[in-house]
Amino acid sequence: MNEKYDIVVIGAGFGGPIAAKKCADAGLKTLMIERSQNVGEKVISGLTIPFYGFLFGPEFIRDGNPPFERPADGIINYIIKDIEKGEIDIDDSLKVPKPFSPIIAFGYNTYCKPLCEWEAKKAIEAGVELRTSTTVVDVIKEDGYVKGIITDKGEKIRAKIVIDAEGSQGLLAIKAGVREKYPPEAISLADTYDYEMTKEDIDKIFGYSVKMCWGWDEQKIAPPLGYGNGLMVWPYRESIHFMQDQCLRTDQKSVPNLKKLFDEYHVNITSTLPWWKNEVAPRAKLRARMWEGFEIYVGLNKKLRNIHNHINGMILIGDAAGLESTELCDGVPAAWFSAEIAADVAINAIKVNNFSKSFLKKYDERINAHSIIQWSISGTNRYNLRIAQEQHSMKKLKKFIYNGWGLGSLTHFTTPLIKTILLYLRKDPKIISKWIKMYFRYFQNWLYESYDYSRKKELKIQLQNKITVKESFFLSILNWINSFVKFSSRLFKWFIHPFSNAANKFMKIALPFIKPFYLGLLKLLNPLTESLNKKLINFVDHANPLIFQEPINRRGG
Amino acid sequence: MVKTFEEIPGIEWIEGTGEFIKIEEEICIGCANCVKVCLADCFEIINNKATIKSLDKCMECGACWYVCIEGALIFNWPRGGTGYKSDWG
Repeated sequence: MNEKYDIVVIGAGFGGPIAAKKCADAGLKTLMIERSQNVGEKVISGLTIPFYGFLFGPEFIRDGNPPFERPADGIINYIIKDIEKGEIDIDDSLKVPKPFSPIIAFGYNTYCKPLCEWEAKKAIEAGVELRTSTTVVDVIKEDGYVKGIITDKGEKIRAKIVIDAEGSQGLLAIKAGVREKYPPEAISLADTYDYEMTKEDIDKIFGYSVKMCWGWDEQKIAPPLGYGNGLMVWPYRESIHFMQDQCLRTDQKSVPNLKKLFDEYHVNITSTLPWWKNEVAPRAKLRARMWEGFEIYVGLNKKLRNIHNHINGMILIGDAAGLESTELCDGVPAAWFSAEIAADVAINAIKVNNFSKSFLKKYDERINAHSIIQWSISGTNRYNLRIAQEQHSMKKLKKFIYNGWGLGSLTHFTTPLIKTILLYLRKDPKIISKWIKMYFRYFQNWLYESYDYSRKKELKIQLQNKITVKESFFLSILNWINSFVKFSSRLFKWFIHPFSNAANKFMKIALPFIKPFYLGLLKLLNPLTESLNKKLINFVDHANPLIFQEPINRRGG
Repeated sequence: MVKTFEEIPGIEWIEGTGEFIKIEEEICIGCANCVKVCLADCFEIINNKATIKSLDKCMECGACWYVCIEGALIFNWPRGGTGYKSDWG
C-alpha cells in the first residue's frame, strides 16, 4: 500500500530539517528522508556560517542554542607573492573590531554533523517523521505532476509536494526534469583535512580568525584548474579544518590530474608556508580527510541562475537549487532562507489545494527578490582572481581579495544588508535586541560548551531569579534600543530606506576615505577597546544565562 | 561490513552500495577526465575506455560525473545506509 504525506522532504542536511519543521509546525503530515545511516554523516565542508544566516534565518535557530565550534571574528588574508622566499602580504581589514569581537561575531565555525543533528532533532520534536538509510531513486510523476517519491527499497510514498533538499549534484532534481546537470565550470571540488589541536594552541595561533591564502598558480597553493586559487583554514574548538578547492573547469586543453596536484600542493603548503610550517605543523595531528563537489559558480551564469527551481508538485532548495555563495563558498544561509520560503509556499499551496508550477512560482519570485541570497550567489571576486592570474597583476589580485574577503566587501554587501535589516525591523521592532541577545547567548554557550544537549562546564554563578546591577543595565540598554527603534521607525522609512539602494555606490566612493580614518581610530582607541573587551567577556562569563534568552513560551529554542 | 583506509583517515565506508557509478563503454571516448579528477582513484583507462577500478574509496563527490562531457558516466546515490560516512565533515 502506498504511504501518503502532505510533504516529503528529501535530505536531512542543513536545509531539509528547516523546511520539514516549518511544515510540521503548520500541522502538515511531513516525512523527511535521509540516505545516510545517521543524520549529517554525508555532509562535508569547512565551515563558517556567516552572521546573516543566524540574523535572518529561522527563528528557532536565532533564539535557540545550536552547537558550533568557535565564533569567527573575520578573515586574515595571506597574499602569497613568493612562498619559497616567504614574501607574503596580509589583508585583515575584514574583522569585527574590539571591544565587540568575538562576542559580536562575523560567523560561527561548525562541524556539519552536530548542527544537522540538532536541526533534525528540532524537526522531529515538531512532529516530522525521519527515515534514515533510505535513498530516493526517483519521483512518482502523474499527469505532469510530481506526486511522490520512490525509494531504493521499492516503496512508493505519495506526497502533495516534494521538497528536494538532497544537496550538491541534485540527482533527483534532474530525474524529475526540474533542471539539467550543471556544467563542470559551475562546480568546485573541495579537498578538506581535519586536524586535532589543543584549544590553547588554536587560541594562540588563530584566535577567532579564519585564515585564507591566495597566490599565483606557480606558488602551488591550489591546483591551477579553475577560477580562484585559494586555501582556507577554519579554527574550531579543538581542531582545525584545512580546505583547498578548485573549479572543475574543462575548457582548457586538458584537465590536470587533480589527485596528484591536490596532494602535491598540500605537501607544499604544509611544508613551506611559514605560519603553517612553524606554528601549526608541530602541533597538529591529522584526523580525517574528505572531499566534496559544490555548485559555487551557478549564480555567476545568468542562464543557470534563471533555471526554475520548481515544477508541478516539487521545489528545490539550498545546494540542490544551486544556491551556493560564490565568495564565501558557503551554502548554509541560502539553504536556511530557501527552506523557509519553500515551506511557506508549500503550506499555502496545500491550503488552496494548488500544487501547480504557476502557484509554486511564488517560491522562485521570493528567491529572486531575496537581497542576501541574490548577493551571495552572484559575487564575482573569486571568479576575477583568474583574471589577476592570467595578467599576473598583483594590484588586481590584492584588489579582488580586498573586495571579496576584506573591507571592500562593504561596496557590494551594504545595500542588501541594510535592506534586509529594514525589512526585519518592519516585521519586528524588537528584532535588534533579539539579535544582541543571540550574540551574547551564543558566546556564553561557547564558553560553557552549552548546546541544548549538555552543558560541559559549570556556570560561574548560582542560577537565581534576582539579577545583578550589571545584568539589569544590559537589559535596560536592550529596552532603550527597542524604544529607539519604535520611535525612529518613520526616520528609517523616510531616510534610511531610500538611501539603502545607493548604499553600495556610497561605500565605493566613501570607503577609500573612511578606511584610513577607521583603521587609525582602531589603533588609537586600542588600549581602551582592549580593556572594554575584557570587561565585556568577563560580564558574559559571569552573567545569568536567563538574561540572554527570549521568553520561554516561544516555539522551538 | 565497514571498510577503512590508512591513507584516507577519519572516513568509513559501509559496504553494499551497489553499482552506483557506471560507464557506458560505447559513449566513452577515453578522454580520462574522470581519472584525473577522482581523488579516490576509482577509474583507469583500458583500451582507450574509462573503466571502474574500484569504488571502495569513493566519497560520492560527483566530480567524475560533472567532467564527463560526453555523458558516458552514470552517477546515482549508493543504496541507503551505505557508502562513505564521517563525523568530521
